[in-house]
Amino acid sequence: MMLILLLAPAFIMFVLSFSKNRRSKYLLAFTSFVILLPILELFVLPKPYNILASYLVADKLNTYVLLLSSIVGIGVTLALLTLDKHVKVSPNAYRKFYRFFALFWIGLIFSILSNNMGIYWIGLELATLSTVYMIKTNYTPAAHKEAWNYMIVGAIAVSLILFGIILMYASAKPILGEDAMAFNLLVAHAKEIPSPFLFEMGFAITTIGMFVKMGFFPMNLWLANIERASFYPVAALFSGILESAIIVGFFRFSQIAMKINYDHLFIFVFVYTLLTIFIVSFLIFRAKDFMRLFSLSGVEHMALIVMFWVSGAPFAALLHFGAHAFLKPALFLSTGVLESQGKYRIAGALRGYKGKKGTLFWFLVSLFLLAIISLPPSPMFFSELYGFGAMISTAKQGNHILAMIGAILFLLVLLSIIFYRFVAIYQSMKYEGEEKEKVVYTSELIALVLFAVALVSLLLPSTISYLKSIG
Amino acid sequence: MIDFYIGLFLATLIVALFTTRLYRLLFWYAFNSLMLGVLALSIGKSIDDNAMIITGIITIVVKAIGIPYILKNLSQKFHFVRQITPEIKVQYAIMLVPAILVFTFYLSEPIVNMIHTNANYVAISISSLFLSLLLMMEHHNVAPKIVGFLSMENSLFLLGITATNGMPMLVELGIFFDLLMAIVVINLLFHKEELKV
Repeated sequence: MMLILLLAPAFIMFVLSFSKNRRSKYLLAFTSFVILLPILELFVLPKPYNILASYLVADKLNTYVLLLSSIVGIGVTLALLTLDKHVKVSPNAYRKFYRFFALFWIGLIFSILSNNMGIYWIGLELATLSTVYMIKTNYTPAAHKEAWNYMIVGAIAVSLILFGIILMYASAKPILGEDAMAFNLLVAHAKEIPSPFLFEMGFAITTIGMFVKMGFFPMNLWLANIERASFYPVAALFSGILESAIIVGFFRFSQIAMKINYDHLFIFVFVYTLLTIFIVSFLIFRAKDFMRLFSLSGVEHMALIVMFWVSGAPFAALLHFGAHAFLKPALFLSTGVLESQGKYRIAGALRGYKGKKGTLFWFLVSLFLLAIISLPPSPMFFSELYGFGAMISTAKQGNHILAMIGAILFLLVLLSIIFYRFVAIYQSMKYEGEEKEKVVYTSELIALVLFAVALVSLLLPSTISYLKSIG
Repeated sequence: MIDFYIGLFLATLIVALFTTRLYRLLFWYAFNSLMLGVLALSIGKSIDDNAMIITGIITIVVKAIGIPYILKNLSQKFHFVRQITPEIKVQYAIMLVPAILVFTFYLSEPIVNMIHTNANYVAISISSLFLSLLLMMEHHNVAPKIVGFLSMENSLFLLGITATNGMPMLVELGIFFDLLMAIVVINLLFHKEELKV
């Protein structure tokens, strides 16, 4: 029953997307709001809650991720209402966007809630394929090229994930039989796996697939190019929801790998993420437009989340993840307004917003820009404090304290490069360039307020205690 | 007999790498898929696994007949370039292919020692994955890249069949569903290109 409730809005949206009525745009937006209701119900149910036998199981981690994703989905739908005011978009493209958004949502529910590696992959592949067409709703040659690019690179990344899953399944099948696909059983029996090398090899391949999909080294620019070419709500969906589905998979797989050989996992992931942040920080320094800037910043934050998670700070990782899930879509949606009708100038981008709506808009954008570089009281500031603290604690146990302090200092230097770039951009947006009157619409403003409220709610004591209980 | 089928699976993939015509490439892909299906049927029969036999039948129907037919139709509908010259010259490719094979056998040696059933087949499926990636890389046109992606899917299935004696039925059906969805999306991507012209 719960599964039907979860999937029903997506199915209704899919059917409604075929209607050519002009008002269906509002009906589609309303349907996407309904997505939140069954998720809220799921959130209050006792955990773990079996949704579909042992295949789909809701626990504290995945309901948290699903709740975040549904809020992002609502924000994106709100901003979609005025998409045609900022870019040229045909009504047909609108409908197709919702059609594939519905499929995307179905894939997402399966991948986030799955307790089975195979179903996780199936959901992820469905979500990936549906986003391919979302990129194409922008009828430009660049979007067309990037849609193919996403199809091919995305397919390679997802295939690597499946390849790794098969190896992990093969490693555990002698003891668990066909249940070797279940995450909970794999965690419980991790120490009994007869061929840990096979599992670790599968984990490494899956992780590389996931990292490629999130734009980690060496594929740092492919996601930025795609987000630049597509409409801004697609970029918001990528950063706020699709990456959540990938990272929840990483959390699940790494929970098993941690029990098999923690040192191997830690060194592999830590070096990989450090290398990614090293390259991304310089790419951010050279970024010349909003989309690429925010996209590359997304890669940096994903790398930090992964780093905190493997350093034994799940609370820091989840808090950072939540803050990023709200901040990045908010920034992408703001970009749509800032770059209205193809104006890409950074200088003076925040000037010219008058009246109550305009003032609220530039205030919120400033807030998001400063929050993403972890200025207090942004949740990212606290998550980074906790995360770096956890890294030191982990190093103390392994007698690598000096190496870890060196790595953290290096990381701080890289983060300061990003910090400097964002502050310079903010100053240029606010104090340079010409002042021309610009418009912001109510629906996108509501979306930004929604994200701001959600961001603040992450710092509530009840949220913090919930997140601490997950780890 | 299984050795013969798996040999043909690898051989068809290698031949596909050197193909310069699109329809011939589709033929080799169909043959590759047919071998995969026959392999699933033979292994399924030998270990008495009905799920694997069903997978084998679906593979033959969907991958060896359905997908090549759809791709051929698409190529006629959207006027694909049928002359597909690989970017990597033949003399280099001919050295690269054995190098990949030797490398993957070396790479998968520790795994091979851990899997006792059809051990060498795991190495072959890993090499097929690399060869499919090479197929995607060596072509500039979209159509061979799609065939490369589909061959990669075949390599994954081969790994699933040989390393694990088949994955759970539900997962395999889900993978087939995703594959069909991929074909739908590919069709739509081409469709838009046509509208723009």
